[in-house]
Amino acid sequence: MSAALGTAGVWLGLLGAAIGVATLGLGLHRRDPKLLEAGRKYAWVIVAGAVLGVIAMESALLRHDFSLRYVAENGSRQTPLLFTITGMWSALEGSILLWALVLSGYLAVMVRHFRKRASDPLVGWATLTVFVVAGFFFALMAGPANPFRVIHGAIPTNGPGPNPLLQNHPLVAFHPPMLYLGYVGFTIPFAFAVAALVTGRLGEGWLVETRRWTLFAWGFLTIGIVLGAWWSYEVLGWGGYWAWDPVENASFIPWLVATAYLHSVMVQERRGMLRIWNLSLLLATFSLTILGTFLTRSGVLESVHSFTESPIGPWILTFFGLVVVTSVGLIAWRGDRLRSPGSIDSPVSREGAFLANNLLFAAFCFVVLLGTVFPLLAEALNGDRLSVGGPYFNRMTTPIVLALLFLMAVAPVLPWRKASEEVLRRRLFWPAAAATLVVVLCVATGLRGLAPLAVFWLGTFAAGSAVRQLALSARRQGWRGLVGRANGGMIVHIGVVIIAVAFAASHAYGHSREFRLSPGQSARLSGHTVTYLGSNTVKSSNKTSVEARVRVDGGKIYAPAVHQFPFATQAIGSPSVKSGLHDDVYLTLAAAPEQAGGSAVIGVIVQPLIMWLWIGGAVIALGTVLAAWPGRRRRPTAPVSAPVEVESTGPPPEPVGVIS
Amino acid sequence: MSDVDVDVAVSRSHRHTARWAAISLGVVLLLFIAVLATRKSAADKQAESPLLGKQAPSLTGTALDGSQVSLSSMHGKWVVVNFMASWCVPCQEEHPELVKFTQRHQGAGDAGVLGVIFDDTEPNVRHFFDREGGSWPVVSDPGGHTALDFGVRGPPESFLIDPNGFVVWKAIGQVNADGLEKLLSEGKARGG
Repeated sequence: MSAALGTAGVWLGLLGAAIGVATLGLGLHRRDPKLLEAGRKYAWVIVAGAVLGVIAMESALLRHDFSLRYVAENGSRQTPLLFTITGMWSALEGSILLWALVLSGYLAVMVRHFRKRASDPLVGWATLTVFVVAGFFFALMAGPANPFRVIHGAIPTNGPGPNPLLQNHPLVAFHPPMLYLGYVGFTIPFAFAVAALVTGRLGEGWLVETRRWTLFAWGFLTIGIVLGAWWSYEVLGWGGYWAWDPVENASFIPWLVATAYLHSVMVQERRGMLRIWNLSLLLATFSLTILGTFLTRSGVLESVHSFTESPIGPWILTFFGLVVVTSVGLIAWRGDRLRSPGSIDSPVSREGAFLANNLLFAAFCFVVLLGTVFPLLAEALNGDRLSVGGPYFNRMTTPIVLALLFLMAVAPVLPWRKASEEVLRRRLFWPAAAATLVVVLCVATGLRGLAPLAVFWLGTFAAGSAVRQLALSARRQGWRGLVGRANGGMIVHIGVVIIAVAFAASHAYGHSREFRLSPGQSARLSGHTVTYLGSNTVKSSNKTSVEARVRVDGGKIYAPAVHQFPFATQAIGSPSVKSGLHDDVYLTLAAAPEQAGGSAVIGVIVQPLIMWLWIGGAVIALGTVLAAWPGRRRRPTAPVSAPVEVESTGPPPEPVGVIS
Repeated sequence: MSDVDVDVAVSRSHRHTARWAAISLGVVLLLFIAVLATRKSAADKQAESPLLGKQAPSLTGTALDGSQVSLSSMHGKWVVVNFMASWCVPCQEEHPELVKFTQRHQGAGDAGVLGVIFDDTEPNVRHFFDREGGSWPVVSDPGGHTALDFGVRGPPESFLIDPNGFVVWKAIGQVNADGLEKLLSEGKARGG
């Protein structure tokens, strides 16, 4: 029943995409507005297909329909309800289904948003592009990653349940959907970039639209990445939250490129420059999401996240090749027509800073991408098998992050075109003074280390600069001064600074030790006292756990545990954390007592400012919402400043109307 | 302003920068894709286990019928050591293939299967064999020590042991009868 319903959904989506592509293609070829109008309606068929598939899968999971292979492998009668529902994205095939659902959701919003312009060829090409992408993911489900395969032969009476790590924390319900909302959302800007290149309509009109979609996707991706870090911290039990694992990198690399775009697009809006570059960034962001999907789903890289063996690797790689050839071909075809007439007047200007920002983000992206695929390249070149770990990434990215923090402080106060030394000195004095004061206080309280102190100085400098901008803007406009792109952006900057400072502090000033303690014994680490009180065994429907009782600082009792799931060889540790604004005490049960009343090994990790990572994430989310808030925005077709045709050092020209 | 004007405004030497940059980037990316396309999956690499070409770890245990079984007692025969569980769907799917394989070699007696239970109970596996057929010995592995010796991460995994007790091949995931035959004939051709 579920299998038939789900398969019907998959084929409905695939057919909807195929017919939609054909109709739109024909309409674009014949320049027939009626066909374009008809073609976009197939978006709703795709939505129906995806929704049907998801309903079929969820109902099969909830009814424990083990005749479906996916349910037999990822469901069980003992799994709690929440993790039965999240089981849909606990393995490869289901995660492709989630992808299709999210993409069809974006498609629906896009088609509805542009319904009045459906006969515009640019919208037609964009819709066609999204149809092709959607068609690919439905084809994956119809072919090699079919979530609705049935079991031949005897139907099992129970299954092993999801991977134990995926039924251990409620964040599993939020992190993947958020991440997908970000990852998949980049399809829409990509589609518009392709459409603009194909139609050759390279005016600025599509740009503001695209920026908004990118901002949305970027915001969700940011939340997804931060939630992933949080999940890893709360579940994995090693006290860390970021490991430069291929899957983490796969989500971080498109984030970097999208961040670069969100900045450089402003140069295009104000000065009409960097058009090829901006289009390339959009094309690259999407291409990199597909590459990331290949790296993590095909099994070429070993990762804590890697999905089980599946034959979808060659499919995704082929699709990646198609995307790359299309993107590169379009740029090669149209690129030289896009050349902008203006040039940057002075490196010490807003646009100069944005350019530097983009170069740094590109370098950041290259460093992370290289580290991620280097094992594959090295093996191809000389057959060596090696792995690239944290030290490479930390060493290579630290200078880039420091330079970015510096830019973050300086760029917002720079005027467009050209800045004078006087202006800079006046605007940067207070942020720099505040930063110096903070570092002096840090040193006075005994903090040492070049890298963390540099981050604190630059972080305060950048935050000071952002706060200054916000204060000025709020003084002029009241609460409206916090809304809009530039002001929301400043709030995002503050969030990023908070994360950078928390990252540096937790890395530099963390302490960790293991203590063997008998019941009643205490140990001290970094000013915290942990007292081991004893352990007990707890049985629940899906696992058997040994829980230690540990009192922290004479207050509340925490319960780090070790879980044994029935169908897993390894026991899964589950940490317990006393979180605070100042520092976190992270407890793990490293070794359970051998016999009742015996001694246990308790792992204690004390790291400062961890909670600020999550607070920083929330601040970024808030800033993104404010930046996307529809305010008194300019009409995209009437830019305030037109591209400058001749080089001049004077003030920007007055609005001159619509540019072609 | 038309695009032609823009083109004229652009100095000649810069005319095709974007095109050439895009084409060179495209070539680099296609090479990169070629590298990716020729990579084996990490799981296959894992199948290049350190045990390959070495004497198989000792494997003894109590079979489901209560008799003592050991890998060394099967010397002189090709043996497929198969780690399995009744709850594992790929194991259920590969089971008929193993049945086919054992039936083909029943007469000649030159090859057989030795099952090892991985994360499952004896009654479950006994029930599974009653239902699905198969008459090869299956030993339980309390504590998972045998699985640890063989470096097994999850069922099904299979190892092909030659008549001298050396590990010649490892598979992660399902095996099939024809694939096993092919390996067997290759091994025999090498003088195994």
